[in-house]
Amino acid sequence: MARSEDIMEALKDYKIQCNNNKRLRRMQRDWTKLIHFLAEDTGDTFTMDVVKGEIITVQAGKEGTPDVFITANSEDMCDMFWGDLNPAQKYLDGEIRVKASQEDVQRIDAITMIIWPDT
Amino acid sequence: MAVLKKVIKLRTVVSSSAGLAMATSCYLAGLQVAIMTVGELAWISILVAGGLCLLSAMCFSELTSLFPTAAGIKLYIQHAFNEKTAIAISMFYVIGGATIVGAESYLLSSVLIESVGVILHPIADRFFWQVIFIVLVGYVNFKGVVITGRIQDFLTYSMLSFLICVGLYTFWISGVDISTAIESPRFTIENVFTATALGVFLFVGFEWVAPLAEETEDYKMVGKGMMLAIALLSITYSVFVVAMYSGLTEEQLHSGTTIPHIIFARNLFGPVGAAVFICMSILASFTSFNSGILNNSRFVYAMARANIIPRVFSKLHSENASPWVAIISLVGFAIVLSFLILITEQFLFIIVMAAALECFIYVVMALCVIRLRRILPDRERAFKVPFGSVIPVVTILVFAALMLGMFIDTTRDSLGNILFHNYWCAVAMLIFACLTSFYAFKIVPGLKQAAEARAKSRKRRRPPKVQN
Repeated sequence: MARSEDIMEALKDYKIQCNNNKRLRRMQRDWTKLIHFLAEDTGDTFTMDVVKGEIITVQAGKEGTPDVFITANSEDMCDMFWGDLNPAQKYLDGEIRVKASQEDVQRIDAITMIIWPDT
Repeated sequence: MAVLKKVIKLRTVVSSSAGLAMATSCYLAGLQVAIMTVGELAWISILVAGGLCLLSAMCFSELTSLFPTAAGIKLYIQHAFNEKTAIAISMFYVIGGATIVGAESYLLSSVLIESVGVILHPIADRFFWQVIFIVLVGYVNFKGVVITGRIQDFLTYSMLSFLICVGLYTFWISGVDISTAIESPRFTIENVFTATALGVFLFVGFEWVAPLAEETEDYKMVGKGMMLAIALLSITYSVFVVAMYSGLTEEQLHSGTTIPHIIFARNLFGPVGAAVFICMSILASFTSFNSGILNNSRFVYAMARANIIPRVFSKLHSENASPWVAIISLVGFAIVLSFLILITEQFLFIIVMAAALECFIYVVMALCVIRLRRILPDRERAFKVPFGSVIPVVTILVFAALMLGMFIDTTRDSLGNILFHNYWCAVAMLIFACLTSFYAFKIVPGLKQAAEARAKSRKRRRPPKVQN
């Protein structure tokens, strides 16, 4: 079980990886979304604000009404943000659940694929 | 349940479900249903087919409420049976379903030739239109253009209303002689049953709306939407198919035409009517085919990302974020299929096969409902099919019987000549099922092992946990 601080640390690294990736920024340039994450085993929640492909803020707790809501267990969430887990595999197995449009679901997976192509 | 900024309303679930099912091939399939029984009584087979699809929609609703995800069918089968079976069946279903594109593009090319006439040569022109249509839809997907809910609502509801109005107008001006039709020797239980089996084709695709569960406020909405869509389609097809049959002359009925709706419109409203129906045909094919490419390319992308098919299919375009390799592969597959249909002219083979495939997947889904109730009895279900296992069992028996009935039948042209024995559809499906099973059971484990080896060789980025 990952602690809230572990996930926040992972999220901060994820933000740097995403924002420094030029290809990803170009691909997501028209993607502006507020994303909520819920670690279902700990109940911790996190908010990520993406504006035109750039992650502006990541913070603990829920802020605003989201465009995308992602539920996973805390360990998977931590591994996902560190790039150690293939989210598509977990999604297809039903272990990561997403409430969003189909386009957003694919875009979220695309982020991982672009910054860590070998996951 | 999380509340999202933008959610899909029930009307859009209904319009998407009905819109996915409505395509140009439905007019021809509807006429085939009418010819198999007695035209004026075709509505019986259509309503029965719709009623049976409702049973299946109930099963889909329970499964969608259990696993409200776009990974739907794979996930239901995976939890009910195992992953390899899930991969084999979902690939069989998705790729098999994609073959409808061949028939659809063939029929649409007939419509386009009718509207602009022959330019070079009938076959060359037909292939040209088929390729143009497929490439256009592929391009729209490649650019990442998505038909919004409002456009889908407008398109579907205007098409449904238009078809019902035209049907009622036809009844008003020419009437329908039911009493003579009932006395016809062709009005037999056997013919009604066979026509019902083909009638299932009219509803093919209603369940492809399941991925929208992730965009709704209430998971029950998708199930409700599917059922309402089937009800709307049943009424619309019943009215329109009988009207179309009544509005065609005996000669036209037996001409083997692929564009009965255009001829019917011309009979009724002259060239303007034909032009309106041509536009509607193009729109119906476009929305249906566009959704097919969109859903299938995402499925192919997800399968590639999960190391079930080669990774190359997960490549994304740098500008549009669209899975371009998956889209180009599907477009190529559609063009090859369309060419095969063009040279063999066996579009009815694809229609029969698609109806059988649909019956098969309904049987599998009903089996999943029964198995998952045993395996996951306590998991929350926003919708549960009533009366215990009665409806899933009835669904299994009815659709298995319809599929078998279809396979032992023969497909004939409008003059009664045998076109092909339907058991060839069963043979084609069996070969394809063997291929997908071989792939799932023999090739996928290798791909997964290679992916695991890659994952193990990669240095973990996550810092090791500090022990207190």
